[in-house]
Amino acid sequence: MMLLEPFLRLVMAAAIIAASLAAWALVRALVLSKARRGATGLSVFRPGLPGILYFTTKDCLTCKAAQRPALRDLERRLYGRIQVIEVDAVDRPDLAKNWSVLSVPTTFVLDRSGRPRQVNHGFASAAKLLSQLQRVG
Amino acid sequence: MPNGLSKVDHSSLKVNQAAIIVLLLVAFVANVPWLVAVVAAIMLAGSAAGRPGFFFIYSWLLRPAGLVRPNVLADNPEPHRFAQGFGGVVAALAALGALFGAAVFGWAFAWLVIVLAALNLFAGFCAGCAVYYWLHRLQVPGFSKNPPAGVVPGMRPRA
Repeated sequence: MMLLEPFLRLVMAAAIIAASLAAWALVRALVLSKARRGATGLSVFRPGLPGILYFTTKDCLTCKAAQRPALRDLERRLYGRIQVIEVDAVDRPDLAKNWSVLSVPTTFVLDRSGRPRQVNHGFASAAKLLSQLQRVG
Repeated sequence: MPNGLSKVDHSSLKVNQAAIIVLLLVAFVANVPWLVAVVAAIMLAGSAAGRPGFFFIYSWLLRPAGLVRPNVLADNPEPHRFAQGFGGVVAALAALGALFGAAVFGWAFAWLVIVLAALNLFAGFCAGCAVYYWLHRLQVPGFSKNPPAGVVPGMRPRA
């Protein structure tokens, strides 16, 4: 009986954490869904090649120090097989709004038709992006 | 610093949020309401002193050991101070509830603090800061700071 209560509380804590993670996953799915509906204005996208849509700004240090090198690394690894589209969220507030971008760096993984399939809020490593691109196919 | 912003070390804020989450989770699982009271007291003392309550873990342990590196951003410290104070008040209500016969109410409040701290730690959204900026828009005295330019109120500023 003495051990049962902490165990039950642990189970409750795990359930609450799982519910919170599910809610977070739902929020991400909604952002992705909204981005799909508003995914317009990407005139530079070349259909047939999967890609990364990368939102940045001029004063984003994480973008300069980590995200851009990670994307260069990815481009080197997948030379000619992906396209990386960089968008300055300050210069293109219309795109940032359509794609529900609240912070930078934000990266979207696009399939061959330009449809967003994954979203990363904050820095995403080359390995993570590569894995997401492989899932997109 | 642009727009009258200050330097705010977001690593110290993250360590603070992680400590709050871990201690409140331990308090809940082990059913130790006094630990919630301790967390509340540290959060409120931190807000009164104008720094994260668990700053000492960062400055004495994690930063010197090289386990956490500073992440200094141009930001307003006031909303974070307000958010921590608000969280401290909720944690204090949680402790009172859990200690004095309103356990469900008390632990629900403790979980509210856990969830909001986790939202800040993992998603970069500070709900207390958003409330601060909302009160600023309503021109409530004492809430004088605008969010950093181009940043959604409550979201972590760009690096």
